[in-house]
Amino acid sequence: MTTFALVLLAIGAAGFLFRLLRGPSLSDRVVGLDGLQSIVVIAIIVAAARSDSGITIETVLVAVLVGFVGTTALSRFIERRGN
Amino acid sequence: MDILSGVLIVAGSALAMIGGIGAVRFGDLYSRMHAAAKAPTLGLVLVSIGAAIAIDTLLAYTTLLLVVILQLLSSPVGAHALSRASRRQTPVALDGPDDLSRDEDRAASRHAEPSD
Repeated sequence: MTTFALVLLAIGAAGFLFRLLRGPSLSDRVVGLDGLQSIVVIAIIVAAARSDSGITIETVLVAVLVGFVGTTALSRFIERRGN
Repeated sequence: MDILSGVLIVAGSALAMIGGIGAVRFGDLYSRMHAAAKAPTLGLVLVSIGAAIAIDTLLAYTTLLLVVILQLLSSPVGAHALSRASRRQTPVALDGPDDLSRDEDRAASRHAEPSD
């Protein structure tokens, strides 16, 4: 069950990676990076449920906060610099 | 209980996959942002509920509740900041009057008047 979920997540990650590598503008790349971060967070949770001990669940908090700070900082950068 | 958590995890992962497909297939920046910001957030909520049922410890319940709250708070803020920042750089077709540009021009002219 979790293996199938990880396969679905890999397909979604490939889509976001495509947008990250060849988004026409910098904002498209940030969209890809943000989505990729969401996928990574979900994958860590699925891996914790798969391992059954759930000992890696605390790293998810750090991943969520780092993703939010990254997206916001890049938005400020785009607003100041453009393109 | 095991089946319920498995169904929730697979449904949430499918939502995240739909977000990735939308980020590839949609035509302009704001449509891609719509797909990339909302679908994985709901997917994260579903996966968190499923994983909390599967792991079933107090640490998992509290941590996943905190993760869900943080993601629900931070995802709209991040998408809003990004769309506002990229408004000038990536023009898209409008379906109505551009109220924000009008307000910004009006504020700029009002700001410029007293200095003259």
